[in-house]
Amino acid sequence: MNELIAPTLPYDMMPRARAAIADVHLQQFVGRATHLKDEQRKSVFGADFGHDDYELLRSVAATTKQQALDQLDVLLEQFIERAQAHGSIVHAAVDAAQACAIALSIAAQHEAKYAVKATRCVKSKSMLTEEIGLVDALTRAGIETVETDLGEFILQIDNDAPSHIVTPMIHKDRAAAARSFVRVLGSRYTEDPEELTAIARAHMRGLYRHAHIGVSGANFLLAEEGTAVICTNEGNFDLSVGGPPVHIMFVGIEKLLRGARDLAPFLKLLARSGTGQPLTVYTSFVNGPRRAGESNGPKELHIVLVDAGRTGILGSSKRELLRCIRCGACLNACPVYRKVGGHSYGSVYSGPIGAVLTPELNRGAARAEGLANYPDLPRASSLCGACLEACPVKIDIPKFLLHARAELRTRTLSPASESRALRLWRWLAQRPMLFRLAIRASRLHARMLGQNDGRHAWISNAPGPAAGWTQSRDLGIASAQPFRAWFVQHAAERDAPPKEAAR
Amino acid sequence: MRVALFTTCLAEALAPRSLQATVLVLEHFGVTPEVPAEQTCCGQPLLSNGLPEEAATLARRMCVIFRAFDAVVTPSGSCCAIVRERFADLFVHGSDDHRDALALAARTFELVEFLETQLRVAVPTTSAPSPECDPSMTCHDACHLRGIHRHGCTAPFLTAFGCRDVRPLPDMAQCCGFGGMFSTQFPEVSSALGQEKLAHVATTGASTLVVSDTGCGAHLAGLAHRQRADNNSAAAFRIISPAEALAHRLGLLAMESIA
Repeated sequence: MNELIAPTLPYDMMPRARAAIADVHLQQFVGRATHLKDEQRKSVFGADFGHDDYELLRSVAATTKQQALDQLDVLLEQFIERAQAHGSIVHAAVDAAQACAIALSIAAQHEAKYAVKATRCVKSKSMLTEEIGLVDALTRAGIETVETDLGEFILQIDNDAPSHIVTPMIHKDRAAAARSFVRVLGSRYTEDPEELTAIARAHMRGLYRHAHIGVSGANFLLAEEGTAVICTNEGNFDLSVGGPPVHIMFVGIEKLLRGARDLAPFLKLLARSGTGQPLTVYTSFVNGPRRAGESNGPKELHIVLVDAGRTGILGSSKRELLRCIRCGACLNACPVYRKVGGHSYGSVYSGPIGAVLTPELNRGAARAEGLANYPDLPRASSLCGACLEACPVKIDIPKFLLHARAELRTRTLSPASESRALRLWRWLAQRPMLFRLAIRASRLHARMLGQNDGRHAWISNAPGPAAGWTQSRDLGIASAQPFRAWFVQHAAERDAPPKEAAR
Repeated sequence: MRVALFTTCLAEALAPRSLQATVLVLEHFGVTPEVPAEQTCCGQPLLSNGLPEEAATLARRMCVIFRAFDAVVTPSGSCCAIVRERFADLFVHGSDDHRDALALAARTFELVEFLETQLRVAVPTTSAPSPECDPSMTCHDACHLRGIHRHGCTAPFLTAFGCRDVRPLPDMAQCCGFGGMFSTQFPEVSSALGQEKLAHVATTGASTLVVSDTGCGAHLAGLAHRQRADNNSAAAFRIISPAEALAHRLGLLAMESIA
């Protein structure tokens, strides 16, 4: 798998974060795109629903998804039964390895069924397949797998990796795509988006026709109908499911909804939250393989229900995280994501949701490794709350960041010096006299050391825990009289009877 | 009505003028705030950095210290939000502590919020005592005000309050990068965000930046001071709290010149 989203563990995010901050192109592309999408999200919800109805819609979606998660076992059984009744073949995979093995075994049976060895695969965009490393597994087995989402395709030919859940090549621009097309497809250099799309389309249309296997994810599974719902903007899913004789759909078990009756709020929220569109261009409902008399669709439809850490989350206090519909709104709203970009998170899922989800999905069998492998992620947040505000299913990401920080602390995965300083702070804060003395002493000390401009004493080279502060900023200690001293004086004057009246 | 001033440790250490201004503004509107002497830190640094049990001991202190008051007012947006949003969850639901925390949350207000929603103060009828007391301003609200639905409320209030030149801050919604200990743990990220904020402030041309949290203000002031040390031509503006902006406008506190 690509080192960018599957780095050596434990992962230290700072080298990539520093590089990202210094990368003027990345700052420009990611900053501009995230701000734009965030603005579009706010304005489309404001225009289409207004504040109150939007809030109501979020609440309905949050409750609906949570209720689905709370009865996931029942919904799973129901979905499997209905999907099988439609003729779909349903598989269950406990982890990434098993999910990939299922795909390979389906591919291995291809020759016996269709008299041709499966060597070509067209793949629609799916974060889960990134998570399980499917493309690598297929490629190693001699199955050339092409990403058909335009952004993912460009990343694939560049040996790059997605840095955003919805807009995977947010860290690149059209010029980079143009250069790659010239290099790999031999096309003429152009930065015109329509021409670039036309080049990619001409290349891919042939691939769809000749592919043996199509692969995709799904956005929602409807238990009552046994239906999968797939939202795309490029129509590439429909081609990948319409052309090849075999289609394999990889879906996380958290994607289940009760049924079509619960779908509407999510369709209203998903595209608006992700890109500011009222709906994705294509919303496809897949009921099963091609039936007798139908002119297209796969002969075999495999649905692989993937756990890969999800039941662990479901059984924990963090089950709310599984509500996530992968809209990317929290990434677009996040100040830290905007600065460090997606690859700094060292994971398939980046941004605020990635910071809480990645350690949970990577806990492994012992349920312990996740945070040890990604100790920076929950700490790399200013806790500004923009993610919660943007989340269409109201996942309280800041709360889960705090929970993760607490676990880092109890498992001594955060710096011991910090823990000592914080505990000393608590000890002092329970002793008001000492606490005020300490504040006064440090103010005095700072004013002696600092450069006094009459208003503040400025320190530009602080020791110890404050060194991180003065690395890039000065510390200004106000020279004004301490508040308590001022207040005592002020209150005495305020409360004294007026002298004239007393006489 | 007995009103307590919740001073916050950071304002006592770094921004005593914002506390003076809060007292003067409250008194102007007929409220005589008391300052309970035993208050120290609300526990936010502990809570935000993975020590919820330690934070709970300080939260419990806060509940005791402010028990006798009808309202608890603070000029610091983020400390206010912590009391309101996170204190109750530090305790077992249904316990006495939990009930106390909920009660404290219901009585705790950020200054501008208190003036606007509790006191419903009237707009001053007289103009500012001098033009210097009503400078060109732009406001950056503390992100934690989101949680108590007060994010973006400071600028409209100042305008309604008769401040004549309150300018919109581009991309106000984006965090300034302070984030408590985040600012020392990830200084590069924190500073990059702060510099972006300062650049937006500079485009407004305002002489005064009003920041509704002491920490955010100190972070931005420290960055601006370093920028000016590195580059003399960097834009100069003063950074004050909403309390100071109001106290200036009412002529209760003298405006300091820009350093």
